[in-house]
Amino acid sequence: MKKWISLALCLSLCLGLFAGCGASSSSAGADSSTPAASGSGIAAEPVKGEGTLNLYTWEGMFPQDVLDGFTAETGYEVSYSSFDTDETMLAKLEAANGGDYDLIIADDYIIETAIAEGLVAELDKTKLENLGNVNPLYQGQFYDPEDAYTVPYGAGVMTLVYDPSLTDVEITSYADLWNEGLADNIAVVDNYRVINGMALKVLGESYNVTDTDTIRAAGDKLLELAPNIRLIKNDNVQDDLLSGEVAAAVMYTSQVTLACLSNPDLKVVYPAEGVGFGIMAQFIPSEAPNADAAYAFIDYILRPEIAKQCFEWLGYYCTNAAADDLIEEEYQSFLTLPDGFDSDMEMIENITPEAEEMHMQVWTEFKAACE
Amino acid sequence: MKKSRFRPSHIYLAVVMLLIYLPLVLVIVYSFNESKISSVWAGFSLKWYKELFSDKDLFKALWNSIVLGAASSCAAAVIGTLGAVGFTRVKTRTKGVMEYLSMLPMMTPEIILAMVFMAFFSLLGLPFGMTTLILAHTAFCVPYLYMLVRARLIGMDPSLAEAARDLGAGEARVFFDITLPLIAPAIASGMLLSFAMSFDDVIISLFVTGVGVNTLPIKVYTALKTGVTPEINALCTLMLAAAALLVVISSVLGRRKGGGTR
Amino acid sequence: MKQRKSLWLLLAPMYVFTLLFVAGPLIYMFVLSFETRAETWGVIHEFTLDNYKNIFQPVYLQTFAESFRLALTSTALIVLIGYPFGYFMAKLSEAWKKRLMLLLMIPFWTNSLIRLYGWIIIFRANGTLDKILMGLGLTDAPLKLLYTYPAVVVGMVYALLQFMILAVFSSCEKMDWSLVDAARDLGASPAKAFLTVTLKLTMPGLLSGVILTFIPSMGLFFIADILGGNKVVLVGSLIQDQLMKAHNQPFAAALAVVLMLLTTAMIALYKRVTHSDELEGVL
Repeated sequence: MKKWISLALCLSLCLGLFAGCGASSSSAGADSSTPAASGSGIAAEPVKGEGTLNLYTWEGMFPQDVLDGFTAETGYEVSYSSFDTDETMLAKLEAANGGDYDLIIADDYIIETAIAEGLVAELDKTKLENLGNVNPLYQGQFYDPEDAYTVPYGAGVMTLVYDPSLTDVEITSYADLWNEGLADNIAVVDNYRVINGMALKVLGESYNVTDTDTIRAAGDKLLELAPNIRLIKNDNVQDDLLSGEVAAAVMYTSQVTLACLSNPDLKVVYPAEGVGFGIMAQFIPSEAPNADAAYAFIDYILRPEIAKQCFEWLGYYCTNAAADDLIEEEYQSFLTLPDGFDSDMEMIENITPEAEEMHMQVWTEFKAACE
Repeated sequence: MKKSRFRPSHIYLAVVMLLIYLPLVLVIVYSFNESKISSVWAGFSLKWYKELFSDKDLFKALWNSIVLGAASSCAAAVIGTLGAVGFTRVKTRTKGVMEYLSMLPMMTPEIILAMVFMAFFSLLGLPFGMTTLILAHTAFCVPYLYMLVRARLIGMDPSLAEAARDLGAGEARVFFDITLPLIAPAIASGMLLSFAMSFDDVIISLFVTGVGVNTLPIKVYTALKTGVTPEINALCTLMLAAAALLVVISSVLGRRKGGGTR
Repeated sequence: MKQRKSLWLLLAPMYVFTLLFVAGPLIYMFVLSFETRAETWGVIHEFTLDNYKNIFQPVYLQTFAESFRLALTSTALIVLIGYPFGYFMAKLSEAWKKRLMLLLMIPFWTNSLIRLYGWIIIFRANGTLDKILMGLGLTDAPLKLLYTYPAVVVGMVYALLQFMILAVFSSCEKMDWSLVDAARDLGASPAKAFLTVTLKLTMPGLLSGVILTFIPSMGLFFIADILGGNKVVLVGSLIQDQLMKAHNQPFAAALAVVLMLLTTAMIALYKRVTHSDELEGVL
């Protein structure tokens, strides 16, 4: 009998521990939401929005001043959740059945998929007074041809940057990267469609070919590039260019901005073969708990003076035509597209699973060949 | 036990320890770098610490991580310890299967584990947030506890517990008076390890977390993507300082206790 | 009999938790590996073996081989560095044992990504190591060590060394040293006493250390990404790419299942080679 009691004690001890954990978890969960609720309660001015804006995007997309300014003006607290990749975002959004988040900013191609999956709400444009500020160049793209679901935020192109003091090779096109003089001296972003696409461009093809033989041919071409590749990564490639680890790099626009601000001697090349072009856009999920807050935020950052702050912080091309002239001189060349450029641009779109699989296979072979 | 005096092996210990700390020292040094770009040393500055302290979200994330680490290492300690002790007493065919199953999270790459945890929780209809985080973290912490406690139990003299039982002690008494003190160091190091693993997990957390529940590693990982490294270096320096402080406190307390009994 | 039943209560938490939250998700993964990928996103519930067939493409097989090579190299180095450390540590005084243990744990309480960034500072062109070597006149140009295979191995060893040390230490600590003394008294040389007594008695710790380091090293692709410039393709990074880039969940699941089976086979082999009762404390 005694044994039974002691065992029961033992079990209740661990159950208690569990309950303790559970309790602490729910209270922690509550903790994270209460400041928002009480915050809006304290800011008791009239006609102010109620509750929280659940913003879901990459880390560091907005200066803190802009977020604080938004809260001060509208009363909506901002709860900022960050993801690492577009795919994480879509997986999470799908698991939440299009709910949980009010506003998401992600890349073009994933938004096309999200729309197809029915996870995106159609925009009520009457709620967006400042929508007219958007540069039409960035509208009507493949992922949202009618602009029914999205408002563009930042835009970028794949850019080649090199340090002329570290190499004698003069680079004007993607094809120049194959030059033997650049052996073990190039950094590229870890984006298989972009890099395979580079080889496709050199072969005179489109980014979005679906013919697997063509992709295979691009893969073979890419294998010849392998000896020149020193590293493949997405984050902070500019550091490696600045430290002299590599002489040339294929980078995203924000990284180009950072690199050139630190070292003005770097040469920026828009490849002769044409450039890859991408847009990060904002959308409201289909079951957003607080869509009003999302509309308020989209409209807020569409204001020219706010947009200026955002883009100078972000380092991507400004999609807000009204803000173009406000941008400070030192940033002008990085944040606005060079003239006469739009004709050569092509966006990377979703393709068939077979083509996708071939791309992946080619990419894996390429990475292994780089070692 | 001989009084420990200098031996050549101490040099080895010191050298390895130095190598373990070398990267950390550099992280600390570069947290005082004026430049945002880590490859350039632009002079001494405290500005990253200033920026760190103005980041409210970061402290919320830190708190979340502490709660998460504590909860999941406690839960794993209970499950793992009872499991290990139980299996020494109960002979069952399912033992091997259970041990294997509980070990599987260690053998599965994090990313796929993250994916299936997310899908599974969504299937169960559990709301994403701290609860799902704790469940997932407990799952990958249990093997550490189980293995360490089990290793300790194996080398233990079973006659002690048997003698106690022969003398009429109940199971609970035997467990708390004899087994537990003997395996306590293993439980403690298992919990410390679990806490550290939980405190450092990014991938699984990223997938099973919910709205607004950022953990510290999620913040750090996503922030590193945009390259604000010196601030993260500063954070790391503070974490090290906190850990070192805890060590000093515990050793001072330990010495006082030791002095009292002597 | 009654006592038996009550003892089962000890095991209840482990059974319930493991079956529900470990077996459940993993069964889901197993099922997923036999399904078909959808056009751009998600899965279609159609049975297929294609995912497993796909693995036999030379490029993917090569990835498995590469992962094994790296895991073996790192584990071997970890044993060489970690075993003596754990062994010597167990011979220290109680106070120093505690201090060293804490010193070993402190780095864990920081961020593993950040610790790797420390190595970047050391390895990069004109970084700490280059400056030291060039200052000593040993080299006259930057070594370009970052983004190479050795850098990845260093990162792996660094990330997992503590597991080996702790495992060896805990097994050395509870070892009965009088057995070593007895062997020495009977005329065994220090080396022989070590090989026949110490090594044998600490084998469970050593093996548990090997398992604790070998298995994770198959999946720690971010080290290969950060220190190796993403050029060493491991199964972990392949799974990551399939999931997060190609949106091919079923293929990723199939890769994970195969990886799990391989590690399981390895553990079974270990049990067979070294007598299984010795391994009991480990797995």
